[in-house]
Amino acid sequence: MKKGMIKATGPFERVVHWCVALSCLFLCITGMAMMYHSLNVIGTLVGGMENLKVLHNYCGIFFAVSLFFTILMWWREAGLFSFPEDMQWIMAAGGYLWKVEKMPEVGKYNPGQKMFFLAVAIFGIVMVATGLIIWFPDGYTVDTLRLMYILHALGFVVIFAFFFVHLYLVTIGAPGSAPAMFTGWVTRGWLKTQHPKWLKEMEKDGTLIVYGEGKYRK
Amino acid sequence: MNKQLIKLIDLSRCTACRGCQVACKQWNEQPASITHNFGSYQNPPDLEWNTWTLIRFQEIEDAAGKVKWLFRKDGCMHCTDAACVRVCPTEALYHTEFGNVAINTDKCIGCKACIPACPFGVPKLNPATNRISKCDLCYTRLQANQPPACVLSCPTGAITIGDVDTMLAKAQKRVKELGGDANVYGDKFVDGTHVLYVLTEKPEVYEHLPAAPKVADSILVWKDVLKPAGLIAAGAVVAGAFLHYITHGPKTPEEESTCEGGKNS
Ligand code: HEM
Ligand code: SF4
Ligand code: SF4
Ligand code: SF4
Repeated sequence: MKKGMIKATGPFERVVHWCVALSCLFLCITGMAMMYHSLNVIGTLVGGMENLKVLHNYCGIFFAVSLFFTILMWWREAGLFSFPEDMQWIMAAGGYLWKVEKMPEVGKYNPGQKMFFLAVAIFGIVMVATGLIIWFPDGYTVDTLRLMYILHALGFVVIFAFFFVHLYLVTIGAPGSAPAMFTGWVTRGWLKTQHPKWLKEMEKDGTLIVYGEGKYRK
Repeated sequence: MNKQLIKLIDLSRCTACRGCQVACKQWNEQPASITHNFGSYQNPPDLEWNTWTLIRFQEIEDAAGKVKWLFRKDGCMHCTDAACVRVCPTEALYHTEFGNVAINTDKCIGCKACIPACPFGVPKLNPATNRISKCDLCYTRLQANQPPACVLSCPTGAITIGDVDTMLAKAQKRVKELGGDANVYGDKFVDGTHVLYVLTEKPEVYEHLPAAPKVADSILVWKDVLKPAGLIAAGAVVAGAFLHYITHGPKTPEEESTCEGGKNS
């Protein structure tokens, strides 16, 4: 690890994040294999569509558990908006779409990320609830079940679209983000650009962990 | 050549002998269930994975207070716009060249999506095999140019099969003969069914028979709106991301490097 890198995420945070991300992706792929007939071929990879359906269901349980920890871990940081700076950020579209002279400083999560978090949290819960009912439909009325199918499809549309926004931003859209997911150590420059308020807070509170300093001194 | 077939069930001729119910079980090798008498000749109480056709018994009182006994041979209607076919993720349910809805059991994954989709409550799951089983209009018999087992067995001629126009004309003629509330059921919804009834009473009089069956709006939203929307939304996002990258450019950190002590010199 390079000296001077700043710790942005802990191991628990990263593990939970990978769990929710990979299970969500797997659910999207297996879900699409069932939604689009032309993608039925994906089923052959796992020995048929029936296996695929079962994998989708059990992965859903894994996702539910991961989602539980995701929400527990992030709801305070990513689930609550702080005014007025978040509103200003939204009005300026985060500075992503047009040149903005002075962006409001954002903390650990910017409003865009908060919206993504909320979308995943809310629609994730919807997906788990509707998925379980579709899986075990006994005792539900026809009308309830028909509603569940709509909501499950709607949740997919939202999550799948958001997923690509997220993927773009954490890879080539905002370079320097990905290490937060792998090593947990990011550069100061990235923090200053992406999360300046968070950086200041950590500096003020003395919680900033810099590689090569303190207990991370080699 | 149009091979579309219609099975006409003329309820005015049905005597509830249940020959068709037995013939269906015999031809399709479906076991009987152990049931309990619930105060009706109707047995079993409902369609089952192993009972693809069922004579429903119903008592009604007419305007003069006279009791009438209604019989209805229930089973798959073989819809042209079949909700079950629309929702099946694996195309296990499909239309054959005769217009009937058959099932490829090997493709069925037991997802049960077709069960709440069907407006007639027809598909049932065989729990032992985790596969849907329902009337397929005796598809193998049709392929061999034979009438379905139930048609063949009917002693009163209440069930007949033939090409679409002939059967429609036959049904309409019969309704005229009967007069009163008699009506043709099956030609006016889901783009027409491949099973037609001549009902002696208005459709709403019959139990378990929807007066205006249709493919539920929820299914149309799901399959005709959300399904394409999933791809369109994701495609738009990917295109938007690409455009953003080549026009606005990524949000790159202003200070690239990180120096000793986490501070910039
Ligand atoms: C290959 C897949 C993914 C990668 C590489 C990835 C990467 C990242 C990174 C680097 C961050 C931190 C960004 C920052 O702090 O600026 C982040 C945040 C987050 N990710 Fe992911 N992620 C992936 C998939 C997912 C999926 C599938 C979900 C949910 C289903 C998800 C949910 C979140 C949430 C809720 C946050 C916190 C708020 C946010 O930063 O947007 N991630 N991700
Ligand atoms: S009656 Fe039900 S099972 Fe039969 S074709 Fe129509 S929707 Fe499908
Ligand atoms: S249960 Fe079988 S027949 Fe019914 S929709 Fe699912 S795969 Fe198709
Ligand atoms: S057409 Fe064949 S499968 Fe359908 S009810 Fe008649 S005998 Fe049974």
